[in-house]
Amino acid sequence: MTAADGAVEIERGAGARFGARFGGSALVVLVPLALLCLWEAAGAAGLLPTGLIPTPTMVIRAWYVWTFGPDTGGFNAYSGTWTDVVANSAQRVVVGYILAVLLAVPIGILVGWSNLVAKLVDPTLQSLRPIPITAWLPFSIALFGIKDYGAIFLICLGAFYPILINATHGARSLDQNLHRAALMMGASSRTILFRVVLPNALPAIFAGMRIGAGIAWSAVIVAELVAVKSGLGYVLWDAYYIGRMDVVVADMASIGMFGFLTDCLLIALQKRLVRWRSVA
Amino acid sequence: MTSDAINLTRVTKIFGGAKPVRALDNVDLSIGKGQFAAIVGPSGCGKSTILNLVAGFEKPTSGEVRVDGKPVRAPGPDRAVVFQEAALFPWLSVWENTVFSARARGQPKSAYEDKARQFLARVGLADFHEHLPTQLSGGMKQRVGIARTLVMEPHLFLMDEPFGALDAQTRIDMQELLLSVWDELRRTVVFITHDVDEAILLADVVFVMSARPGRIRSRVPVELPRPRSIDLITDPAFVALKRDIFNQIRHEAQAVRVAAN
Repeated sequence: MTAADGAVEIERGAGARFGARFGGSALVVLVPLALLCLWEAAGAAGLLPTGLIPTPTMVIRAWYVWTFGPDTGGFNAYSGTWTDVVANSAQRVVVGYILAVLLAVPIGILVGWSNLVAKLVDPTLQSLRPIPITAWLPFSIALFGIKDYGAIFLICLGAFYPILINATHGARSLDQNLHRAALMMGASSRTILFRVVLPNALPAIFAGMRIGAGIAWSAVIVAELVAVKSGLGYVLWDAYYIGRMDVVVADMASIGMFGFLTDCLLIALQKRLVRWRSVA
Repeated sequence: MTSDAINLTRVTKIFGGAKPVRALDNVDLSIGKGQFAAIVGPSGCGKSTILNLVAGFEKPTSGEVRVDGKPVRAPGPDRAVVFQEAALFPWLSVWENTVFSARARGQPKSAYEDKARQFLARVGLADFHEHLPTQLSGGMKQRVGIARTLVMEPHLFLMDEPFGALDAQTRIDMQELLLSVWDELRRTVVFITHDVDEAILLADVVFVMSARPGRIRSRVPVELPRPRSIDLITDPAFVALKRDIFNQIRHEAQAVRVAAN
């Protein structure tokens, strides 16, 4: 019969199309490059407040020394310490974020799927949600002291809610006929939960995980500004106090870079796990 | 009567809400074992509600629904459903969708693999095992929807306007496919449609429903020889049946308009 005629061509060119639109042309770097040049020129022309706002070349030099410079054994805190500083922050983000995913995904799915679970835990979750993570800072210091746990707690809390809400939404958005199809094929509640509700919620879970990752990086900075004495957030304030604005900007750029890399990682993971969505 | 595959006894279904809707009103219906029954009627007459009750997706407000003499309590793999929009799991390949029921019920591979391969070939999808539903046309999706019910080897096929969303040519292909598959299996089928041609072409018996509240208006036996093909639709006997059923439906539609005025 005519089955073959109706086949829709597989779209394998999604990556290539993206490349043609962005990577292939120089357009994508045009605006950032122009802004950097403008900034540099403003510095050279003496338009920037001297000693307060560094030029891009000053930032890059500071960043280079911070990363590759000799470790002076504490004499210069911003020589050769970048890797350690980043490792401190990244470690907290990874632990707090994974904890958030492990908690939020199952709870979110169950809240979305079971009215009983929703009635039991949703009021508690929703009444705590409007409290911003910054408001939790003193509480978390009181609870954990100036330790890693406080930062991890804040990161976990910050990433938890967007993942939870999206997982709940994903579980609730199951098409009635897909549920009925599973029922008529003799699937148990367990099978439906793991083989139907969960995969159906996966795109929403990933949307939540991407938002959550952004919040996790904000949370680690906030925690390190106040509650911990290491990491990118701590350096941010520390460098400011001793007037090293070049390091401050290099630190900001580092945070942005890691936020971006985390997002790229999640997109790559999503493409692997939610292949069925990107094909359409 | 225990020889019936399906029995509805004084079934009433009211959908609650701010304005309750009486979808079915005192419906009595029996469909014999191995019979291909079509149910036609104006839209909103409760055709699909009958199917959902037999499938176990809905419960009657009053009355009783029996399948093989036993009251229907919940959906189950003895009653396979083909949905209008195929309702395939988009994250599973054609193959995984087809064997979903077997895997969900923990059957060993040996019990279903040959069968699934055979039925996929039967519906013309032998070369599409690894495709995802989004890569298939509407007709191909519905072929998977049919193949996965064939693998279940149910007592009963419940088909809810399965070809309603397809274009005319694909529709004819699918009707001929269904005719030839049914000729091999001869299982009980309940086929919901608003297309009278389709009902007569496929069925042994056509039930005509009246508009809201839904009742069975008449039972029209279709005594046309099998195997049938699409050419049948120009046959005088076919045309006579069609005229008869059309008149009944038109009458219903008019009654609704009069009632509305």
